[in-house]
Amino acid sequence: MSRDLAGVWLAEAAVFALVVAAILAERPWALGATGGALVAAGALVRFVPRLGAALVGAFARRRAAALAGGAVFALALPLALRSSPYWTFVATLALLYVTIGQGLNFQLGTAGVINLAGAAFAGLGGYAVGLATVAGGWPSWLAVLVGPWVAVTVGTLLFVPILKTRGHYLALVTIAFVFIFNILVNNLEFTGGPQGIKNIPTLSLGGYAFTTRPALAGVDLPAHANFYYAALAMAGLTTWVLRRLHDSWLGLALNTLRDDEITARCCGVSVTRGKLLAFSIGNFFIGLGGAFYAVMVGFVSPPDFDFGYSLVMLSVIIIGGVDSIPGVVLGACLLVPLPERFRFLHEYRLLLYGVVIVVMLLYRPRGLWPAQIRRYR
Amino acid sequence: MLGVMYALVAVGFTLFFGVLDVIHFSHGDIFMLGAFAGLTVLAGLKAAGLGGALLALPLTFAVSIVATGLVGVLAERVCVKPLARASPLMTLLATLSLGLVIRESVLIFYPRGADPKPFPQLLPQGGVELGGFVVRYENLAILGIGLAAMVAVDRIIKSTKMGAAIRAVAQDPEAAQMMGVNLDRTVDATFFLGSGLAAVAGILSGLYYSEIHFIMGVTGGVIGFSAAAIGGLGNVYGAILGGLLFGVLQTTAAALIPRGSEFRDVVAFAVVMLFLVFKPSGLLGDKSVERV
Amino acid sequence: MSLLEATGLTVRFEGLVALDGVNVAVAEGETVGVIGPNGSGKTTLFNALTGLLAPAAGEIVFLGRRLVGLEAHAIARLGIARTFQASRLCLDLSVFDNILIGMHARRRTSLLDFVARRGRFLGEMRAAIERASHLLTLFNRALPQRGFERVGQLPQIDRRRVEICRALAAGPRLLLLDEPSAGMSPEETAELMRDLRIVRDEMPGLSVVIIEHDMFVIEGVSQRVVAFNYGRKIAEGSFAEVARHAEVRAAYLGTEAPHA
Repeated sequence: MSRDLAGVWLAEAAVFALVVAAILAERPWALGATGGALVAAGALVRFVPRLGAALVGAFARRRAAALAGGAVFALALPLALRSSPYWTFVATLALLYVTIGQGLNFQLGTAGVINLAGAAFAGLGGYAVGLATVAGGWPSWLAVLVGPWVAVTVGTLLFVPILKTRGHYLALVTIAFVFIFNILVNNLEFTGGPQGIKNIPTLSLGGYAFTTRPALAGVDLPAHANFYYAALAMAGLTTWVLRRLHDSWLGLALNTLRDDEITARCCGVSVTRGKLLAFSIGNFFIGLGGAFYAVMVGFVSPPDFDFGYSLVMLSVIIIGGVDSIPGVVLGACLLVPLPERFRFLHEYRLLLYGVVIVVMLLYRPRGLWPAQIRRYR
Repeated sequence: MLGVMYALVAVGFTLFFGVLDVIHFSHGDIFMLGAFAGLTVLAGLKAAGLGGALLALPLTFAVSIVATGLVGVLAERVCVKPLARASPLMTLLATLSLGLVIRESVLIFYPRGADPKPFPQLLPQGGVELGGFVVRYENLAILGIGLAAMVAVDRIIKSTKMGAAIRAVAQDPEAAQMMGVNLDRTVDATFFLGSGLAAVAGILSGLYYSEIHFIMGVTGGVIGFSAAAIGGLGNVYGAILGGLLFGVLQTTAAALIPRGSEFRDVVAFAVVMLFLVFKPSGLLGDKSVERV
Repeated sequence: MSLLEATGLTVRFEGLVALDGVNVAVAEGETVGVIGPNGSGKTTLFNALTGLLAPAAGEIVFLGRRLVGLEAHAIARLGIARTFQASRLCLDLSVFDNILIGMHARRRTSLLDFVARRGRFLGEMRAAIERASHLLTLFNRALPQRGFERVGQLPQIDRRRVEICRALAAGPRLLLLDEPSAGMSPEETAELMRDLRIVRDEMPGLSVVIIEHDMFVIEGVSQRVVAFNYGRKIAEGSFAEVARHAEVRAAYLGTEAPHA
């Protein structure tokens, strides 16, 4: 049994080391060496027959230990990245996309409710925080807790169209919504117009302002690490809650609603309640991501929440795997840091996202980490 | 005027839906591509010293239609047809992403792609007074070209063999195939036709606004799709009607609402949303049935 | 006392009259067979009974409750379950999931339980999976072992069984079967008939209405037969009586052509 444990933790440590090395490698040769090591490791697992199967088996048998190990490494990441506040920021951004992605995935992947207005709902959360703190004088932590509810409430305005339309009509309705949102915040006075809302106060819990540089185990970390840990908690909680909802009567009802609405109705599933619930729950977490973003960067403006970002959110889900909770995590962790790492790709970033989505849909439509059969654990 | 351009794009959407039961979300960016193709041709002609409107305009249209049409077929072959049998969600996401690819490609690869590009004024300037209003020759020309394009489409669909094939496939692909219609070629032709129309619309847009911008396809696509939906997806005349209505809606909103020019799109989209909720089958009816 | 009584049921589709003033009653514990040529309104009847279609006229009373105007999910919760002519399973979900959805209306745990009181929810789910296994065992002892496989991987006959299990999982009072033997070989049809008898034995109080084209099946399982044509009920009685009925014969076999 302890061979399983050793295998799981060694594998996680190896991935961690390689990822950190890939991020921090300065010289081309170092980057090349790391890349080579990653490819070699991947090939080893893929092509040495018993190794791959043994690893998968070990992870399946030691799920709790694997999760614990993953948590430890996630907590240690800022330590490893302490020399780079920029990369701490990127890691935090990835965690934000995990939160948003899980919300969007619950709507799109689990319930089949197409929502192309993800950017608008994140924007609603962000702008709610901006208005509450700057115009209303609220403390940031309170604004972040309340912001998502604004997204949910406004989302219910779309409730009737959500119910009555489906497929491409629903897509069009949500696209229209995100356009309307963007035009409104761009042109209305109280949302600050094209400049947006600036000087959103940073998060401050019990007197501890998130702009102070924390220290972990005696080591000084960049100030951004505060946000990283908060985002880690947020993403972790989101994933935990949504996994439990997915593996429940609700998730099953939503899957059936998605795959065959008539069957679902004949089994006693209320279409109205199901879709509204999925839509609202998803919007909450999307709005939460947007709200957190607002206090993290300190300002919100219309271009931060335009239609293009809806597509980025979508790509996170598609790459990871539609209706796959771990897939969303993988998708965010791949899609957010990679263009940052390869700076020369930065200009081509959106182009690459588009190409990747098309390629994935054609050849691997179920994603890199496809949804697994429900086991109700 | 605007309505005419929207109508041309809307017809594309509706044709594609009719033939493959898919919404081709990158069609808006095809429209943008048509405009840029036109601009490139014009730039080339100008460089070669052939900038005269009489020659330049038809040539621009011709080249752009063909080039854009071919890109449209390529898009269909790569992205739309392979996924047509899968869930509509897939096609939706794939074509959305394809649109993104087209958009970003223009941004990245066209010189100074991020800037709006001035479009040469090739149409006669000036106007004539009619009961207090000035009717500009330019607008008449655009209207004329647009109407000509729509008439051409109408002729093609009603009177040619390919048009009949398109209509047949739209009604019942299997029956059409059994009658000897080549499905692949018909779909190709439909996409060529729709994309060519979008190219015309793109050039007209350039002439109307005197400039084009790489993101014009996003709004253009949404509007075109909305117009097609209003008219009834799959119904060509519905698409034309929807496009014209949308144009009227926008202009009216701009005139009636304070600060209307900024909010006209909001009003238009809000109306579209209401429409889709209450009359999703459109004004002239669409094609969709589910049997238990 | 009738379990279900439909009177004067009329359903129209934009000018086409699919059901025309139909009167049908089902007693408790009875199995009624429904026959008729394609397009005679049989599936439409099911759709009206389960609330998928709104009748233009008529009334449906089930266990003393009026069904017309109720949503499909509300009718399902009252105790009517059905299968479909073209198999409707969620192919990517597991066998168990496809049966568990049938128990959706019977669940007692809530959202809060799913997230915060997981133990309680898992207990209910374990019991539900046991019930699903039990139902599967009735038809095929080997099936429960494949419970966590994708249902799309099962052979056709087993998929039909899963659908029937889904319908039974809710413990309905009335089971509507729509052409269960469609597409089956004679051997599979015989197995199906055996399955239906097992269902009757397992749930003696259950009323069943079965639409079938295979007269062998109808004769084997029905206590009473109703025949439809052009949206109207044209005959009712025992299988022998209905089979002899002139209009029924005409509907299936046609009449002599008056001219050459």
